[in-house]
Amino acid sequence: MEAQIRAVLNLFKPSMVSIINYGMGNIRSVYNALNFIKVDCRIVNSAAEILESEKLILPGVGSFRMAMDNIKNRGLFDAINEAVLIKKNYILGICLGMQLFADEGEEDGLTKGFGWIPAAAKRFPAQVLGIKIPHIGFNRVYFQGTPVNLFKGLGESADFYFVHSYRMVCLEQEKYSSSWANYGERFIASVQYKNIFGTQFHPEKSLSNGLVVLRNFCQL
Amino acid sequence: MQNGVYMLSRNFSLQSVGNIDWIRECYNFDAIAFSIDELIVFNVEREKKDVKEFSRNLIELSKRCFMPIAAGGGIRSIEDAYMILDAGADKLVINTPVITNPELVISFIKTFGSQCIVASIDYKKHDRHTETFIHDGSHSTGLTVEEHVKKAERLNCGEIYLTSMDNDGTGEGLDLDIIKKISEVSMVPLIASGGIGKFNHFTDGILQGKADAVSTANLFNFIEDGLTDARSTMQKCSIDMASWDIDFFKSFK
Repeated sequence: MEAQIRAVLNLFKPSMVSIINYGMGNIRSVYNALNFIKVDCRIVNSAAEILESEKLILPGVGSFRMAMDNIKNRGLFDAINEAVLIKKNYILGICLGMQLFADEGEEDGLTKGFGWIPAAAKRFPAQVLGIKIPHIGFNRVYFQGTPVNLFKGLGESADFYFVHSYRMVCLEQEKYSSSWANYGERFIASVQYKNIFGTQFHPEKSLSNGLVVLRNFCQL
Repeated sequence: MQNGVYMLSRNFSLQSVGNIDWIRECYNFDAIAFSIDELIVFNVEREKKDVKEFSRNLIELSKRCFMPIAAGGGIRSIEDAYMILDAGADKLVINTPVITNPELVISFIKTFGSQCIVASIDYKKHDRHTETFIHDGSHSTGLTVEEHVKKAERLNCGEIYLTSMDNDGTGEGLDLDIIKKISEVSMVPLIASGGIGKFNHFTDGILQGKADAVSTANLFNFIEDGLTDARSTMQKCSIDMASWDIDFFKSFK
C-alpha cells in the first residue's frame, strides 16, 4: 500500500531534468554527473515522460542514422519536437545528441535530423586537414558572447573532453554557435538557439568544467 | 582491482590495499579523481576474472568520476565488452587477446570504434632486447615491444598502454629509453607506465620519453594533493595540459 502511494506521488512529482534513454550510448555517466551536482533528475524512455519533463538532456554516442531510427522506432520523435518547439522547454544535446538538432547527418547514408538548427553533421575531412580522426581528448573551447550562457563562471575559454569524427557544419555559424574549438580547422563546439542548447564535447567527462556547464543548464 | 579490493603492484606482484570506501576515507580518492585526465582500472584477479563482479565495482567507482574511464582485464567476449562499457567505461583495455584472439579485437573495433580500444603491453628488458608478456605478465609472447606495438597497430587499436614490468611499482622512474624508442615508431598515442614515484618522473616521460601521456598506479606516493601538485609541476615545464578548478568539487562534499 505504502509503495503504491509512493508510486502515485512520484507520478505527480514534477521532474526537473530528464535524460532521454533511446539506446544510444552511456547515459549512466550523465546521470552520475547530475546526481553529483545535486540536480533532481531521472532517466526517461517514453513520449509521455518526455512531455511532462521541464528540461531534457539528449545524450548520444554512435551513428546519426541509428540514433534517428531509434528515436522514431521508440515513438519519441513527435514528443521531443513538441517539448522543444511548442512547449519551448529547454533541451541540451550532448555530442551526437547535439548533431541530431541539425537538418541532416551524412553518417551511414544521408539521414534527416530534427532540423532545429540549419546545419549538417559532416565527417572531418581528415586527409585535407591533415588530422587523425576521431578527434579524441581534451581540447580548449573558446566561448562566444551570448546572453544566456552555458559557460557562466568559466571565463573566456576552458578545456573539455571530445570524442567524435563528425562535426556540425552551419552556414550561419555566428547565429547558432556559442563556442568553437580547433582541430585542423575551427569547428562548432556548442550551439545555442532560443531554448535549444548543445555541446559537441562531453560535459559529463570534463571534470569540473563540464559540471559547471551542466549546472548552468539546469539552472536556466 | 581484485574482487572489489584495490591492489598495489610491484613487478607484477600484488599487494592488497583496500576497497573503494577505504581508499576514499584514508587516501582522499576524490582529490585523486579530480586531478587526473583519465582513469584506468584493471581487473587483476589472477585466477578466473569475473567481469560481472568487476563491472559492479566499476559502477560504484564511476559514480564520482567525471573523466574518461578505461577499463580492462579478462574481457574475452563482446558481452564482456558491453558489460564494461555499460558500467561507465569509455574505453576497453585489451592485453592478452591482441595475441591470442586478434579476431575478437577486430570485432570490438568494428563495434565500438578504434578510439574505444587501448592495447596494453607489458614487457621486460634484457641485455639486448625486450620481451613482451600476456596473461598478467606470466606468459612470454616471444615478441619484442616494437613487434607487439606493430601488431596492435595493424589491428587498428586506438592507443598503446606500455608498462615496464621491471620498473612497475619501484617508484624509480619510467623506462625512458624504451618509451622514447616506441614513441618514435608508434602511429597511435602512447601512454607510458611503470616506475613513477616522483613529480619529475611524469615530466620526464613526456619531455624526454616523448610519450603522449603518463600513468601511475602508485597513488600512495601521491596522496592528498599529490597529483594536483604533479599536474602543476608539469604545467610549469610548459607541458600543455587541460586545466580545471579543483575547488569546485569541494563545494559538493
